[in-house]
Amino acid sequence: MTYFENKQPLVADIFSRYPDSPQGRRSALMPLLREVQDAEGFVSESRMAEIAALCGTTATEVRSVMSFYSTYHTVPTGRYHLQVCSTLMCALAGSDELWDHLVETLDVQPGEVSADGRFSVQKVECLGSCGTAPMMQINDDGYYENVGPSKCARILESLRNDLQPLPDNPVPVTVGADGRQVLAGGGAVGSSVTGLHRLPGQAGGEA
Amino acid sequence: MKVTVDGIEIDLPAGTSAIDAVFSAGGDVPYFCAHKYLSPVGACRMCLVESGSPRKNPDGSFVMEGEGDAASPKIFWFPKPMASCTMQATEGMHIRSAKTSEVVAKAQAGMMEFTLLNHPLDCPTCDKGGACELQDRAFEYGYGASRFGFDRRHAEKHYPLSDFVILDQERCIHCKRCVRYFEEVPGQEVLDFIERGGHTFIDTQEGGLPTGFSGNITDICPVGALLDNVARFRGRNWEYDHTPTTCTLCPVGCSITVDARNGRLERIVAGENRDVNEAWICDAGRFGHVFASEERLTTPLIRDEDGQLVPATWDAAIDAMKRGFSGMRTADVALYLGADSTLEEGAALEALAAATGARSVDHSPRYEVSVTAPQATLTDVATADAVVVIGADLGEEAPVLELRILEMLRGGLIPPEFAHGTAIADLRLVERPARRPERLAVIGQESRLWAHAGHRVSANGKGALARLTHPDTDELRAVLSLLEGAERPVIILGADVLNGASGSFSANLSDLASRTGAKVIAIPAAANSRGLGALNLVPRTGGLPLSRAQEAPAAFISRLDPGVRAAGFTVVHDTHLTTTARLADVVLPAITNYEKRGTVQNLEGRLLPLHPAAIQSGESADLIRTLTALAEALGVKAPARGLRGAQALLADRVALNLSDLPARGALHTFRQTFAGPAAPHTPTLWTERMHARRLTWVDRIEELVQNDWQLPVAPAAPPARAGGDD
Repeated sequence: MTYFENKQPLVADIFSRYPDSPQGRRSALMPLLREVQDAEGFVSESRMAEIAALCGTTATEVRSVMSFYSTYHTVPTGRYHLQVCSTLMCALAGSDELWDHLVETLDVQPGEVSADGRFSVQKVECLGSCGTAPMMQINDDGYYENVGPSKCARILESLRNDLQPLPDNPVPVTVGADGRQVLAGGGAVGSSVTGLHRLPGQAGGEA
Repeated sequence: MKVTVDGIEIDLPAGTSAIDAVFSAGGDVPYFCAHKYLSPVGACRMCLVESGSPRKNPDGSFVMEGEGDAASPKIFWFPKPMASCTMQATEGMHIRSAKTSEVVAKAQAGMMEFTLLNHPLDCPTCDKGGACELQDRAFEYGYGASRFGFDRRHAEKHYPLSDFVILDQERCIHCKRCVRYFEEVPGQEVLDFIERGGHTFIDTQEGGLPTGFSGNITDICPVGALLDNVARFRGRNWEYDHTPTTCTLCPVGCSITVDARNGRLERIVAGENRDVNEAWICDAGRFGHVFASEERLTTPLIRDEDGQLVPATWDAAIDAMKRGFSGMRTADVALYLGADSTLEEGAALEALAAATGARSVDHSPRYEVSVTAPQATLTDVATADAVVVIGADLGEEAPVLELRILEMLRGGLIPPEFAHGTAIADLRLVERPARRPERLAVIGQESRLWAHAGHRVSANGKGALARLTHPDTDELRAVLSLLEGAERPVIILGADVLNGASGSFSANLSDLASRTGAKVIAIPAAANSRGLGALNLVPRTGGLPLSRAQEAPAAFISRLDPGVRAAGFTVVHDTHLTTTARLADVVLPAITNYEKRGTVQNLEGRLLPLHPAAIQSGESADLIRTLTALAEALGVKAPARGLRGAQALLADRVALNLSDLPARGALHTFRQTFAGPAAPHTPTLWTERMHARRLTWVDRIEELVQNDWQLPVAPAAPPARAGGDD
């Protein structure tokens, strides 16, 4: 059975957000991919072909768009998908060591899932948390920052017991009516800058 | 529009790209991603130039530089080099290429270094060696050294995209030409970039490239990443004898270059003819050439006492023909020729028929109707605002015509022509162009073009034209109003309507054409059916058409395989030992159209030249020379003994002067065409013998040895021969 076969209202809703033209139909590609990925954890080849048929394009085109983003997966991921930022700042702060440690201790390579089905790993491009490098993202839940050896061990230990520690910084998930992004917990994004202290020796003036 | 390039002021039409401005000024800019018939995207960053423009004051006057009479508008230069293929030249713009700018030279050398960073140096083994744009440009514009000492990226080599096209992912420089080609030209989005950054590679998710027009990407790939699998590892570019000629597998008459090596046809690449095929050819034309060098007849064969065909000399063959024809009236010998023969050959045959008094003369395949309506050219098709295709499967009949129709759907933009040739980057061509399917109507069976059409009418071809003239359904009414509302409509007629078209057909067609102002292309049955139709090569009163060849008292059949022999003595002139040849009394070896000199007329009436490629074919002869042998056997004087004699016949009989035909061909309308009853013809582009057998190199060499194939070498002492008039 195809994925969208009995989800006509959902498909119609997604298409209604875009212009009713061939180009507009193609624009619905990303939300459709997201829908499948959220439901099944990855987008298989048959799903790519299905989305291509819906959008009036080819599976090649769908795979091309999809492979541009590291957030879409073509293979199943573990229950905890560990994404290690490997771009310059994290690399300087030791993301390679973190990566090697994960790969060795979990005995899992990119594209694989560990034997117990819990873990999969992936190197990703900049996640925009350079100040707290090295960092790691677990699933879509949030950022684990300054992941040194002991913190990494603590995280893995609790994940092995299926107790996922709270992220240091949950990722923003929605945009409110006022245009502000809102965290999964409901708090405003960027709250970490509200508690800033003025450095000693600096005169007042503009904040 | 005045533009200054490297200090040379030139006058250009508005909208010209900066790269074309440099080429117009006689300069050079290296480029990989730009292509004459594809949208410019600025992907390779190789065509960098420095550019600057004058700027105006708020009052509209130019910002000036200098004092008094020496004052000139001040040029404000862009702070860094710009990609010239995506930049439009504007009034007063100044452009500096690497010739005058060190900044540009350094930027281009740096870009070259970057492109070569991960490119494997396969040049000693790569098939593109010697014709590789990257190789040439690295030599001309590179530093000659690299500062990057690390290992190169490794990706998959020899990755088959289809049976015909092999991808080498390591060699790909991501110019995106192949991706854009598939999207913009045949309208099939089957290739794209997968992954991103340093991991990007080209791939398809459709399970292989569609057969049809896939081979063109091997031509446009600027490096050796996409290679023609039929010709791969058969020769290096400098070893081939390149012969520009015309493809005669279908009536389009695409410009091709035949590459032969050691007397074998190894490769065919597309040539450029803006009026016919632009720069594209179909897969059959590109990959279906194997028959030219496989299992050829190289000597005449005559039947011995045991009834076996045995090799013989031409003299022995002429003697055998003399014996066979003895006691027979020359008029009893039926003369048949293939409809892809040249005009010269047709003229020679017609003149011989006149000399012998033969009534049974025919060329095949042909349709029995001759269309009298305004003739559309292929450029008319591409620039039309409505096209109606009736009863045609263009994929089998005239594939490149399909590309010209698709060109019409995306706006009919034909890149302008400059002194340096076709514009290299026509800025009007865009990626993912908007298409106008409502301008195309397809009436008939489902075909590949069907998917692109806005109006689709399922119809049996025979009555389709009459039904369109007097529409009985809403669909047909819509098609007719499309034709009537259009300014430059074109009607294309295929085999389904032309087969067995009755007397009212021509009247119906001219009526429809005059009512709607439409021009017409009736796709001929074979490459030169149109031209040969003008030469009276149809059965005279009481003569037998090819379909009744078995009733003829004797016959001469050239490059046709009806599968039957004449009642009496039969001579077959063919390139291969066909079914008909096996039945014949004498078989004379023929040359293929790749080895001929002559002229053919394509579906739009354009005369196109054939040039002979260096292919080993033993003692094979073209039809004109074979007819002199036949004339000798029949005891009549041969009307033409060579090409020039045949051209004189053409000038004499149909007022056609072929002595100075331009390379791009010339349109010609014959005053009269001859038609007669003909058997129905089903066009098929690919024939059995055109498919390459997948041989391993061991099998291939073994076969060459078995066929006693030898390197062609000049004879030690060429025998003195009397000169012919060829």
